[in-house]
Amino acid sequence: MMRTEPINRLSEKGLRVWRIYGVLQAFIVLLISIGAGVINYFTGNYMWIYIVAAGVFVLIAFLLIYLFPKVRWTRWRYEVREQEIELQHGLFVVKRTLVPMVRVQHVDTEQGPILRKYDLASITISTAATSHTIPALITAEADELRGRISVLARVAEDDV
Amino acid sequence: MSNEKYKLHPITAIINFVKVLKELILPFIVIIVANGFGKSGGDGSWYSYISYAIYAVVLISLLISGIIKWKRFRYWFEGEELRIEYGLFVKKKRYIPFERIQSLNYTEGIFHRPFGLVKVKVETAGGGPTKEADAELTAITKNAAEQIKKEMMHAKNKQSVHVDEVILEVEEQKDETLSIFRMSMKDLLILASTSGGVGVFFSGIAVFASQFSEFIPYEAIYSELVIFIRFGVLMIALAIFALLLVAWLVSVVLTLINYYAFTIIIEDEEIIMTRGLLEKKKITLPLSRVQGIRIVENPLRQLFGYATVIVDSAGGSLAEKDESIRLLPLIKKSKINPILEQIFTELPLEPNFTRVPKRSRKFFYRLDFIWIIPVAAAVCYFFYPYGLFALLLFPLTFLLGVWQHKTAGYAIENQRLIAQYRTFSKVTVWVEKRRIQSMTKHTTYFQKKSDVSSIQLTIKSGVGGATTTVPSIEKEDADQILSWYEPLKKSTIEKEQPSF
Repeated sequence: MMRTEPINRLSEKGLRVWRIYGVLQAFIVLLISIGAGVINYFTGNYMWIYIVAAGVFVLIAFLLIYLFPKVRWTRWRYEVREQEIELQHGLFVVKRTLVPMVRVQHVDTEQGPILRKYDLASITISTAATSHTIPALITAEADELRGRISVLARVAEDDV
Repeated sequence: MSNEKYKLHPITAIINFVKVLKELILPFIVIIVANGFGKSGGDGSWYSYISYAIYAVVLISLLISGIIKWKRFRYWFEGEELRIEYGLFVKKKRYIPFERIQSLNYTEGIFHRPFGLVKVKVETAGGGPTKEADAELTAITKNAAEQIKKEMMHAKNKQSVHVDEVILEVEEQKDETLSIFRMSMKDLLILASTSGGVGVFFSGIAVFASQFSEFIPYEAIYSELVIFIRFGVLMIALAIFALLLVAWLVSVVLTLINYYAFTIIIEDEEIIMTRGLLEKKKITLPLSRVQGIRIVENPLRQLFGYATVIVDSAGGSLAEKDESIRLLPLIKKSKINPILEQIFTELPLEPNFTRVPKRSRKFFYRLDFIWIIPVAAAVCYFFYPYGLFALLLFPLTFLLGVWQHKTAGYAIENQRLIAQYRTFSKVTVWVEKRRIQSMTKHTTYFQKKSDVSSIQLTIKSGVGGATTTVPSIEKEDADQILSWYEPLKKSTIEKEQPSF
């Protein structure tokens, strides 16, 4: 039996936010490779070290800013049904998570400074032992979803 | 309901005193060693006694504070609550509704036993951020402890009358006491001697091996240095061996004392475990709080056909560190099933395991090679001739992987998922569907190409969670487990949306 993928995707703006995070991370890598270059300048001044440092930076920047956010975003799916929440995500490892409504204890939404600028919020679903985050939804959508999950969680019953 | 206020037994004062003293003993020793000895030449002048006077004052004030604490402590029953009043300088009151009490745990220490007293720990659900969410009655008579239990039952029953008429049933269950298990002296000795014995074993081998290095002709190369090194190695190995031997003996004695006369009885839908020689501990675990059951067989004990049974329970306080309770610390494998059958009547004990497909065997060792390659390479390079032994890591990891692959499997029966896996120890887990908090299917890129997936499920254990993985099973099987876990669609019964 083949399970169908969850239907909903994250907001497209989420992809942009992840690119921004990528730029910030790449900036740290840039600083490190500049540092390596400076040390090299004063010690050995080998040409190949400059090339390697630049190469590593370009590669990491490409991965962090372009490829990883893209793959993550295309992979991220979620669906909130009457009886359960299903999530699918993961860069290297595809994770498919099922959280029954009966197990949901509380739902939170959260908004950092960058997310707020793009009118996005993340939503965290907690059970008694685990918590699961949907990272980038339009704020209004996230609020609506939070309300819906909390209502569904209250009326859900064990089927065993 | 009488509102008489009860006091603890006077011995509480002594216990409080000893408890504080125990915590102070280390700083005391440090101070005495730094201060008392060495410079006290015995000149007899008055100021050499000042430090002793200070000790005496500290001790007496501790004793007095212990007495005051006992004097201030009161507990009583009122309004279906257990109410406690205590505090040395600040008077504090704590009211615990009986319905919130999860369990009462009894401990009998060496001070308790001559007087027939017990320490009662009242455990509530939730744990919460405050460590002392629970109450502790340091020393009361067994009759008083019985009374608390009776009051609690009384209050709980009263409530259930309003809900439905289960009172008769509860009354009936009360008398049902079932003795389940008593650990034999032989098993206890085996448990004590095999706990933490691995270190001794290896250091013994090291001593042995250092003798054998004579046969390796490396003297010819730098003989003097080598003799020195070899001597040093022998000394260090011997020292470590001796140290571990002592540690092992201590752990044997401690285990013997802690697990002496380990018994389990079932009473009133609760598992009651008692154990201990000097301090008799009684742990009560309501069956409804059991989240999962594990049988753990470590390879050494597996060889002799022994295993450990562990239960995960929900709730409990943060202070308690072992939320997974060793239900059967050590037992012959063949005796487990009859016992589990008695406690957990619906447990499918002989499930039909679906094993892991052959093509997923590579996932059990391939990932480990990634870290072994650099480590082995470095060891080979830096410790050249002997470092080559690091290469043995490859076949060993491979064999362990094959072993893990052979052990892994799962079964679904009776609304329960049963998983079997091995890291070193072989573990068999029973989890009821309604106890699983969430379930995740993991698929790596390579697993996807081989059409396999892993399933990960989390149950509540203590205040946190415990995760079990069913590794690299057929993708279809993984999907089936997810579908099994998925709540049934109740499309026929239209639920009323409550208006909030």
